[in-house]
Parts: sequence; structure tokens; C-alpha cells
Amino acid sequence: MSTQSENASQVDSLKERWRPRIERVRRGWDRYTEHSMGIVGLIILFIFSLWALFPSWFAPHSLNWVAFLGEEPGRLTGEQVQQLPYPPAFGDPFFAPLGTNSSGEGILTLLVYSARDAMYIGLAAGILSSLVGVPLGLISGFYGDTWIDETIQRIVDVMYGLPFLPFLIVLVAIRGISTTNIIIGIAVTSWLNNCILIRGETLSLKERAYVDSAKVAGASDTRIVFRHIMPNVVPLAFVYLAQDAAAAILAQASLAYLGLADFTANSWGLMLQNIQSEGYVFEASWWLIPPGICIMLIAAAFYFIGFSMEDVTNPQEDG
Amino acid sequence: MTRISARYLAKRVVVSYLTLLVIMSLLFVLIRSMPGSFIQSMITPDLDPADIQRLRETWGLNEPLWQQYVDFMTNYQTGNFGRSPTEKEPVWDIIARRFPRTLVLFGAIFISGYIIGPIMGMYLGWWRGTTRDKAIFSGSLLAYSMPVFWISWLFIWAFNYKLGWLPSSFMFTKFPTEVYGPGFEWTAVTLITDLLKHLALPLISTVFVGWVGSMLIMRPSMNNVTSEDYVFLAQAKGLSERTVMMKHAARNALIPVATQAIVGLAFLLDGSVIIENVFSWPGLGDVIVGAVLSRDYPITQAAFFMLAVLIIVMRLVTDIVYTYLDPRIKFGGDS
Repeated sequence: MSTQSENASQVDSLKERWRPRIERVRRGWDRYTEHSMGIVGLIILFIFSLWALFPSWFAPHSLNWVAFLGEEPGRLTGEQVQQLPYPPAFGDPFFAPLGTNSSGEGILTLLVYSARDAMYIGLAAGILSSLVGVPLGLISGFYGDTWIDETIQRIVDVMYGLPFLPFLIVLVAIRGISTTNIIIGIAVTSWLNNCILIRGETLSLKERAYVDSAKVAGASDTRIVFRHIMPNVVPLAFVYLAQDAAAAILAQASLAYLGLADFTANSWGLMLQNIQSEGYVFEASWWLIPPGICIMLIAAAFYFIGFSMEDVTNPQEDG
Repeated sequence: MTRISARYLAKRVVVSYLTLLVIMSLLFVLIRSMPGSFIQSMITPDLDPADIQRLRETWGLNEPLWQQYVDFMTNYQTGNFGRSPTEKEPVWDIIARRFPRTLVLFGAIFISGYIIGPIMGMYLGWWRGTTRDKAIFSGSLLAYSMPVFWISWLFIWAFNYKLGWLPSSFMFTKFPTEVYGPGFEWTAVTLITDLLKHLALPLISTVFVGWVGSMLIMRPSMNNVTSEDYVFLAQAKGLSERTVMMKHAARNALIPVATQAIVGLAFLLDGSVIIENVFSWPGLGDVIVGAVLSRDYPITQAAFFMLAVLIIVMRLVTDIVYTYLDPRIKFGGDS
């Protein structure tokens, strides 16, 4: 009996402590849902997440399905090879709702199985570049106008001097073409914007009265940065994370166009690269258009979410 | 110039120069750490080891790495970029031939993008929150999310493959008599119209995606200045909405766009790699990819070097442009 009430009071105090935060999140969510764009972004992302997590539920065939042959390993006859890539077909001789590519794989199947790669690249590159850019931006901004800030800003300058895509090509050439290396390459080059923008925000935040009062109260630098400034910067960091994710997905597609895609993985960029290398860019529209639309939708979803969040974190008067 | 102290300017120039040196060192390390070298592409099976050795010697690959580094750094200071092993001609010649072509294409894209983007951003920022703003804004984000080579393919498919209106590759017609009929001769007018025709598709495809970048900066910036006192004052004076928007609000909202333009310049040059490849535009971006993939160090280094110089100089110029756009900004004046 007594323990129960103790538990209850613990729960109460916990509730008490968390209420303002929950309240804040709920208010943020309410603002967010005012943006139809943000909702659309979340829905698109949700669908692609489902594709990424349970591809077999959505794809009409498994990955080793080949037109005419189905799942059986075997050889296509010359006449069958001539017919590939095959336009969308329903029923006999096989079922391929979006047609096939030149090696007989179903486009829709490939599309669904490629979602995982896109989600992985977007989120991993976004998170990595935030993990580098946000702390450096915080430090740089907090120690503004000291040698620490100078050093970080000069590093940023140097990195800006290296053109993004050629630099990425060199990195991928050094480390080999794999999805992980592509993500690292994108992250190495994309933390700059995070760093600069977070620095700017920190510079203005640290002049606020509550930071001064924390200083007077004897709080250490670390405490001020992490307890007082960072919470105000984190929402913004999520905005940039979403934008970085979109940029990363587009960068991966560009690299794939140049032939720098991981050929063992399934990705929309690789599908487009295959169309180009097989020379069907203008003949097989059923093969060309869907991967591009998927890249566009997932990148747009991240942008939609990012810009809706920006409005939540940085509310502007309506008008 | 008046608002920048000479001392500050000198300091900036020195720092820029040091930055360049660091970038060059970084480049050297990066490019040398790529596996393989251009020698491999020159080696044929019937070449004996002595010949290979001689090849390495000719191209200076036998020298210790530090010697190569010192040579690289000193030579580049004096504009000596060496010879390209794969193209068999001086790197400087290749760049001098290619760079202007890149500049033509990217000048056009840059100017169009930075005219359309800020103007759209100006209107969207002014209308912020209206249905019209929301619709155009989400539409532009969709465009921004398209892989640029993909949208180029769609445009080529429509305007070249289906309709045959516009050429889809190269900068000029290669065999003009075949296209324009026998007896055709190049004159200034035909040359320019031919160039414009070839420019159209790459320009349209890139700007279709690229204008959004500057719009994204202009829109919130415009929205911020709409609540400034001087805008209210201008409105109170009874000036037309158009005058207030264009003359009073937009001018100040342009400052962040100017910064973005410089950074955007770097990204445009990235874009050159892709877009020149798609449209077989004989520019620098096309060369860079080929050079990196064939491990042609001299060209790769020189191309990166040129881009780095360009970006660093442009960043310096931005700060100067700032002082003209916003009289409140001063550099190194009294601080």
C-alpha cells in the first residue's frame, strides 16, 4: 500500500518534471500540423520507411525474380532478351506493373527494395554531418572572437575552397566505392553549413540575459553550452539535419550518374546509372521516370519536413 | 572601398593566401593518396620494367614525395602547372581552352538563377502564409529535389528527341553544313545564334532546379524586413506597395542572398561536373572527372587549384560588396 502511493508520487513528480517539456513538444506539434507541407513530407517518409523496412510486403516479386523466368534460375532465350526492357505488363507472360529493365528485373521491385538505401544514406549522412557541425558551431560561436573560433572558421574556409563534387569523387576514389564511404564523403563535406549557421545562432544566443545570469551564478562554460545554449539550438539542428539528408540523397544520385555508385547495393541512383550505361534513356520511359520521381519525393519529403520545422522553431508573425 | 580599412583588407588577403596554401597541401595529400597512378594507363604488356622506370622518371614520380610536394607548391605559385600525361599537352593550355567554356555556361546559369530566385523569393516573402505562397513554395521544393541529370534527360527527351527543336550536346554545331544546308558560313550572327541554341537546354535544365537555392534565402530574409520600421514608414508615407517592396524591403533583404551567391558559385561549379557531362559541354567539369578517374595528377591539381582560387577570391569580394549593400556594415573600422 505504502509502496504503491510512493510509486504514485514518484510518477507524479516525474510527470511534474516532464510536463513543461511534453507541453512544449505538443505545442510544437500543433504548430507543425498547421503546415500541410510538413504533413505531406511525413506521410511520404512514412511510406518510404515501410518500403525500407518491409520491402517484401510491397514489391510484387522478390529480388531474384527475372522476367519470363520468374524465380527459377535459368537462361533467357535470345528472343526473350531482345524484348527487354519490357514495358509495363499485367498477366501473361509475367506480371510487371512498371515494366522491366534490360536484365529482366521488375522496376517496381527494384524501386521498393531501393528505398532502404535512400533512407540509410539520407539519415546517416544527415546525422553524421550534424554530429560534426553542431558541436563545432556551438564551440565556435560560444568562443566567438578567440583563437578557438578563428581556428574552426579557418578550417571551414579551407573546406569551402574544395569544390564539393570533385572532392567527393577523389574521396570515393581513395576509399573505394561503397555506400558507407559515400556517406562519409558526403558528411565530410556537408557539416560546413551546419557549423556556420549554428555558430551564428550561438553568437546571438550567448548575449541573452539568461546566459549572463547563469555566468554570474557561477556555471561553468560546459554547463552553459550544454544546459542553456544547446537546447535552443537543437531544434534548428534538426532542421539542418533534414536538409542535409535531402542533399545527401541528391549527392548520391549525382555520384551514381558518374558511375560512382555501389553496384552491389540497390539504389535509385544506380537504376538511373544503369539506364544511361545501357543506353535506354529515351526508349524506356517506364524505367527512366520512376526512380527519378522516388529520389525527388524522398528528397522533397526531407525538405518539406525541414522547412515546416523551421517555422515551428522560429515562429514568425503571420501576415 | 571607403568603408574597409586598408589594414583589414591586407589581413584578409594574407589569410586568404594562407588558406590557399593549406588547400593546396590538402589537395596534394588527397590526390597522391588515390590508389594507382596515370603510369598504369600508359603501360602496355610489351613494355619492359626499364621502360616503366624511365616513364616514372620522366614524369617525376621517382622523386621523393617531399620533393614532389615542394615542386608542386613552388611551381603553382609561378603559374607553372606542368604537362598532362594523358592529354599530352601543357595543363595551362587545357585549362585556358576549357575554362572560358565553363564560364559561358555557368555565367548564364548563375545570372538567370540569381535573377529568378531572388525575385520569386521577394514575392513569396511578401506574401508569406498565403495559399499562393504555400503552393509555389512547395512546388519549388519539389523542383529543387530533382536530380539535375534526370530532369536534363527529360528536357532532352522532349525538346531534342521528340520535338527536335534544340541540340542536346556540344557548344557549337560540329558540321554546320549538314545541319544548316550546304554553303553555310560562320558569321558573328550565326555563331551567336548557334551558341544560344546549344546553351538553351543545359541552361533551362539547370536553372529549373537551381533558382530555388537563392529563393530559399531571399524568402525568409524578405519576410524579416517586412516588419522593420523603415518599411512601415515607407508604407505610411503612402508609397505604392510595389515601391515599398522593391525599393525599400528587397534591397536590404538581398544581403544574405549575396553571401549565398558566393557559396552558390562553388556549388554551381560542382554542378558543372554533372551538367557538362550530360550535355557533352566541353568545359572544365568534364575534364576534372576524366582526370580524377585516370589519375592525371597535373590536371586534377590544376583544376582544383583554379576553383579554389576562384572561391577564395569571391569570398573576399563578398565582404566588399556587403559594405555597399548595407552601410551599417563596417570591417575593421573602429573595432
